[in-house]
Amino acid sequence: MRSYLTRDALVKWAPVIVLIVLVLFFALMEPRFFSVRNFARIGISSAPALMIALGVTFIIIMGSIDLSMEGTVSVCAVAFAFAFIAMGGTLASYAWLALPLALVVGAAVGLINGLVHVKLRIPSFMASLAMGFVGTGFALLLTGGDRIRVEDELFRSLLTVRFLNFPIMVYVALGFLLIAWFIQSRTTLGRNFYAVGGGEELAHSSGLNVNRVRLMGFTLAGMFYAVGALLAVGRIGIAETATGNNFMFVSITSVVVGGTALWGGIGGVWNTLVGVLIVNVINNGMVVIGLPGYVQDGVLGILVIIAVVLSTDRKSVTFVK
Amino acid sequence: MSFIKKFIERETLNRRNFLLASAYGMGGVAALGAFGPGVARAAYSDPTIAWSYRNRTNPYWNEIVSGGEAFVESLGKSKDALTHLINEGSSEKSLADVKALLAKTNGELALAIDTNDAPNCRPIVEAVAGAGGYVSTIWNKTDDLHPWDFGDNYVSHMTWSDEGPAEQTARILLDAIGGKGGIVHLGGIASNNPAIERLNGLKNALKDYPDVELLDAQPADWDTQKANQIMSSFLTRYGDEIKGVHCANDTIGYGVLEALRAEGMSIPIVTYDGNPQAVELVAKGEILATVFTNPHWGGGITASLAYHAATGAFKPSEEPHEHREFYGPTILITPDDAVEFKKNYIESVPTYDWTDFWGPAGGQIMYK
Repeated sequence: MRSYLTRDALVKWAPVIVLIVLVLFFALMEPRFFSVRNFARIGISSAPALMIALGVTFIIIMGSIDLSMEGTVSVCAVAFAFAFIAMGGTLASYAWLALPLALVVGAAVGLINGLVHVKLRIPSFMASLAMGFVGTGFALLLTGGDRIRVEDELFRSLLTVRFLNFPIMVYVALGFLLIAWFIQSRTTLGRNFYAVGGGEELAHSSGLNVNRVRLMGFTLAGMFYAVGALLAVGRIGIAETATGNNFMFVSITSVVVGGTALWGGIGGVWNTLVGVLIVNVINNGMVVIGLPGYVQDGVLGILVIIAVVLSTDRKSVTFVK
Repeated sequence: MSFIKKFIERETLNRRNFLLASAYGMGGVAALGAFGPGVARAAYSDPTIAWSYRNRTNPYWNEIVSGGEAFVESLGKSKDALTHLINEGSSEKSLADVKALLAKTNGELALAIDTNDAPNCRPIVEAVAGAGGYVSTIWNKTDDLHPWDFGDNYVSHMTWSDEGPAEQTARILLDAIGGKGGIVHLGGIASNNPAIERLNGLKNALKDYPDVELLDAQPADWDTQKANQIMSSFLTRYGDEIKGVHCANDTIGYGVLEALRAEGMSIPIVTYDGNPQAVELVAKGEILATVFTNPHWGGGITASLAYHAATGAFKPSEEPHEHREFYGPTILITPDDAVEFKKNYIESVPTYDWTDFWGPAGGQIMYK
């Protein structure tokens, strides 16, 4: 029995415990929180955020950071909507090609992001932040500030058609979660992310092409942002420059709250899933128990700090930067 | 990608014009010094017409400026005769650009402007009046600053009050739910003036409906996705108790509609702003009402007022106060008139009589 309750085990499971405690807390405060219909609502709000958080998880495991998601999501959403409508406006026509096109656009933006970081030797923090602004600006240039409606019933079935009480977009998100898990645990690329994050010098001297791993990491992240963009458009039926809004805070917070360390090498996609659920349970729960709007941001901030304190083993790091 | 090329060309041109204007300005300042400042001059035959605003990428400002261009074209000039001063949200740039243009035109200027923030209005007006130009402002102005304190040179100020129209949409909503039950409000950024006014409008209307309960009001920050998430949380907390939704603007309304659609629900909602997409939804009956503030007319008439004062076509100081400070128009759009509204305002831009300065306006500004 004792051996199960080590400090390591506690830290490992802390995010899950935090999530369970939060769910129980909100359920006690307001029984209606604990209903399948509400879990479906939390699922809908989590699905796009989960995709974006998965993308940035790979980057954070490498010990880098990517802040370009808002711009990338907007560009992918707008590019998808333009292509989708130009090619017929329904999934039943050639317009389905807009789906892979969005992924290609996401990969391209991610690759450029990586090239700026690796080739120009700009810290990933600055390179990706700047690329994010470029993305937002480009999306604005494409749309001229207008919104593009995607009204195809077939595409919107992501939201409107339910299977076992949950809309299809939740299952799509779970599917991509499994893909991310496969990449992380069953591919060389996934192991290389951990190698770079655990010790870049060591990885380099072992013959690993660190720059190539970084480029592939940013490209992969871009593709996940694109999936997030598609789900975000599926959720509200509108693609616009503001589609990417708020995703930076939500995704980075989720990754960290889930127990993936910002200094790299620790954590993974399951941590991210738990983190995204924690953030969305908090957001949903605060409205459901009737907390006034002006208190919510403050409470969210405090809960995030508590969650990070509980879920990361800070004794294992010698300094915090 | 030709539109990108055009965009860049336009921006380059704007910058070049501005640099030229600044260079001219130096000469102008010298000339002004020679003849002495503050000379009251007679009417100008052909004053430069300028619009100073944030930028054109925002659909609202795009509408404002297109109105300004329509006015200039109505004078038989080309669109390019309108000088654009783009402040990008900086009050300092706004003031510097105006001063440079005043110097270049030697004060022969008819300026329409949103001064970006209220405190910036006074220095702008003083600069224009001091150089003998004519200025009309919209939106931002401190309450102690009045056009009639500047003779003819500060021609007019127009702003929009949202409280009354928001109250009207609220009444439509409350009648639609039969005057009883629960409603929720999704607002804009809590500290924004329009967000406060629109919620106040709802509260005013609620006084006459004792059987309606405002279950909750949360800020959705004018954001579709945030509104979507808040609305689905509302549905968990209140479920079927929610009989209607009052939204602070159209973009919030889109998020609410989608949250309802996800649950297969349909309840009455009202919005604000009268965006084309919202008008379409009103025509389909998915939104009960929205409010249109006619930014195209606002942009045109503001330039027209400054221009006609500058040419001496009318003398502002002889006009009553309600012609110097007034509210812009607000048009309520309901399913009954949405189709006609769309035909008249969206599918074709109406031709306005730009000398009917106060016809569509909404009365003198009241200070609280």
